[in-house]
Amino acid sequence: MSKQRLQNIPGNHACALGAVAAGCRFYAGYPITPSSEVAERMSAELPKVGGMFVQMEDEIASMGAVIGASMGGVKAMTATSGPGFSLKQENLGYAAQAEIPCVIINVMRGGPSTGMPTRPAQGDIMQARWGTHGDHPIIVVAPDSVAEIYSETIRAFALSERLRVPVVVLYDEVVGHLIETVDLQPAPEEQLASRKWAEGPREGFLPYRADADMVPPFPRPGDGFRTHTTGLTHDENGFPTQAHERVEAVIGRLLGKLDRHKELIESYEAVGCEDAEVIVTAIGISARAAKKAVATARKNGIKAGLFRPITLWPFPEEAFRKLSAGASAVVVPEMNAGQLALELERFAPGKVSALTRYDGEHIDPSQILKRIEEVLS
Amino acid sequence: MNEISADSFDINEYLRLELFPHFLCPGCGHGMAMRAMLWAVAELGIDKDNLAIVSGIGCSGRMGAYVDANTFHVTHGRPLAFATGLKLARPDLTVIVITGDGDSLAIGGNHLIHACRRNLDITCLMLNNEIYGMTGGQVSPTTTLTRFTTTTPYGNYEPAFDACRLAEAAGASFVGREATLQVPTLKNLIREGIEHKGFSFLEVISDCTEIYGRKNALGNSPEMVLSQKSKMRPESYGGLMSNKVDQPFRPNPFQTGVLARNERQEYGELCRRHIAAKQQAE
Amino acid sequence: MTKHLEIRLSGSGGQGLLLSARILAQAFASEGASVSQSQSYEPTSRGGLSRADLVIDGVRPDFPLAEKLDYLLVLHQCAAGASDEIINDDMTALIDSELVTEPPAGKFKVKALPLTRTAREIGNVRIANIVALGALAGLSRMIDRERLEDTVRKGVPPKFLDLNLEALEAGYRLAEESRDN
Ligand SMILES: Cc1ncc(C[n+]2csc(CCOP(=O)(O)OP(=O)(O)O)c2C)c(N)n1
Ligand code: SF4
Ligand SMILES: [Mg+2]
Repeated sequence: MSKQRLQNIPGNHACALGAVAAGCRFYAGYPITPSSEVAERMSAELPKVGGMFVQMEDEIASMGAVIGASMGGVKAMTATSGPGFSLKQENLGYAAQAEIPCVIINVMRGGPSTGMPTRPAQGDIMQARWGTHGDHPIIVVAPDSVAEIYSETIRAFALSERLRVPVVVLYDEVVGHLIETVDLQPAPEEQLASRKWAEGPREGFLPYRADADMVPPFPRPGDGFRTHTTGLTHDENGFPTQAHERVEAVIGRLLGKLDRHKELIESYEAVGCEDAEVIVTAIGISARAAKKAVATARKNGIKAGLFRPITLWPFPEEAFRKLSAGASAVVVPEMNAGQLALELERFAPGKVSALTRYDGEHIDPSQILKRIEEVLS
Repeated sequence: MNEISADSFDINEYLRLELFPHFLCPGCGHGMAMRAMLWAVAELGIDKDNLAIVSGIGCSGRMGAYVDANTFHVTHGRPLAFATGLKLARPDLTVIVITGDGDSLAIGGNHLIHACRRNLDITCLMLNNEIYGMTGGQVSPTTTLTRFTTTTPYGNYEPAFDACRLAEAAGASFVGREATLQVPTLKNLIREGIEHKGFSFLEVISDCTEIYGRKNALGNSPEMVLSQKSKMRPESYGGLMSNKVDQPFRPNPFQTGVLARNERQEYGELCRRHIAAKQQAE
Repeated sequence: MTKHLEIRLSGSGGQGLLLSARILAQAFASEGASVSQSQSYEPTSRGGLSRADLVIDGVRPDFPLAEKLDYLLVLHQCAAGASDEIINDDMTALIDSELVTEPPAGKFKVKALPLTRTAREIGNVRIANIVALGALAGLSRMIDRERLEDTVRKGVPPKFLDLNLEALEAGYRLAEESRDN
């Protein structure tokens, strides 16, 4: 392993380097704490590899420019936090509807509104899933370490390009600013591919006619396809339709696309769940605390396990159901008022114990350990 | 470039005829603007494969779909933002933005001034019909004083923008205004705008016959178009904006023609030079 | 194998504690240790509580934040009460004898040294962060001295190198002297 590949850097820098390693060549953004280091690092890195960096006038414009660049065929990304994430939602829905690949980084801070700019939170779990209007496909990945921010940002691009879907990389301020060692290894070959480009006869080409994998090939502007892209509900030919029988089919495919590729998308970490009496489920810095709490509980003779979704949305439901079936309780530490717990309640009814905190401070392993002991007594 | 006479210009070559009949009301000024735009494209010999139309939301925005090119119908107010990304990523494409007075001056006002400031090589056609046509005729940032709209039932009392002065002040390196009354002249202006290297802001005086015309008893389409004449100052054609324009808001009658032009550094080139310098240093 | 260590450098924003933490982290990393560094700061870039934590271990820890400090530096009064949840009887606190008038209370060892005053005597109060680093390293012997000096050499701009090395040296001297009495 080469020396300079190992670096001690903050999560936000790892994110930028992961993007560049993934082949991202366009960044548009608007500064906001605690995500700004992503933009700063991108402005330094992109020119070196021939990529474009542009600071736009606001987050709405940033999201628009990112989608625009991607419509041109270039891998593109933006990064933001809280209020900026809210502003991006409309165009994010556009990317979902028009199936334009793009990666959005959201470094979570205290909210609502301007909230606590420099304090961590995990309050955007639901917004990341449901922030834009309408039923829509979206993938959200939730890394919990600097190394994983690097590798998940790469994977985010791979998924986004492969499935033509926006992918959100969601992590809290603690992990974004945490400095840890990361191995800046090149992106895995299979994660480097761009989207499937349209080929074949231009005449009669249907831009939203999907292949068997439910993903339509992407007509690159300039290649002679001359297609139409719109945020209106559109038929396979790309043009608007409101005919209900067509709408059902096209929206059905849009929503079904992720289900079809569940195996590709799904990712989670499970530690000691098989015989666990209590399972702890968390993301980001809360997951790191959970890991330690579970290890300590095991040492103390308590049968505890960790289930950590790395792909947060779509939630790895089946795996979670299976692994938590034997447990009598599921402890969910999260820095919000109980968003993840609410979702897990659907899969493990009556077993969920939310350990919430929204005062701008992280949750300690000792608090989780205490809750583990409580739910078992 | 070769001049194409009005008679020999075949607009059908540039249309997605399979989508017709189109969505605009009969007599809507936007259709004339579209003809002028495609005529300019034809004269410049732009390959349809390399033409990208980015449009916002509005009756104006819907027009893009009928052009046989790479067409992107994006979100309300944001076509300039999308186009900025597209043009930076793909400098090889000719990028034309079609926007409305609401799309570009209200919800998208911020994007407009920053697009002017950056001076990226995009041509922006702002179809000014003084109203929110698409949503049924509400007041817009360019509605003339005292006019009736669905949200100014007693007449408009808000001052209107002079979009061209705004664009020039914000740094657009090419600014012009023309009316749909004279499609050939409008075509010439659009052609110049596309040829200009930098951000071109073109205001097209268009008419919403169906709503604005009716609500204000402005007559039907031909009458409305002809009345543009009394509003224009064609004698100023070719002259740059001068301090003769001393009203704070849109002068009426207003100047037409090329109102501002300079050879300021184009933004995409600036970016690429910056990148090249950095790559060399590496 | 590297010992598990938790260190907090705290004070007021603008005192340069993030830089001291970065240098110390680099020094540990160059030893092959796993270093997790986190920080907390107020929205204003100057003034207000500022702290940087290092968690040192042989491998990447499950939990990368400090829970039970081994060493606490308090360089300004505003930080004195900011670590109540993680201070403990087994740790050592190094405090500025001039700027910290009410040190954190507890049964742990407290060393009050004139860190800021020494920096002023060297010619620049803003170098107190490096004096403190030297003093902390001297008291704890947590890291090889040459390695730390080497890291300072690599980590600060040449223009300020002499000043920084002098400050580090002065910190070590303060630690030595306090050890004697
Ligand atoms: C965020 C958002 N707000 C409001 C609307 C509704 N809307 C659609 S078009 C339009 C106004 C269009 O006016 P203009 O830009 O002047 O275009 P015209 O229809 O007159 O050509 C509005 C308000 C929308 N689509 N999106
Ligand atoms: S409503 Fe007005 S602007 Fe819209 S198509 Fe009809 S005439 Fe044109
Ligand atoms: Mg209008």
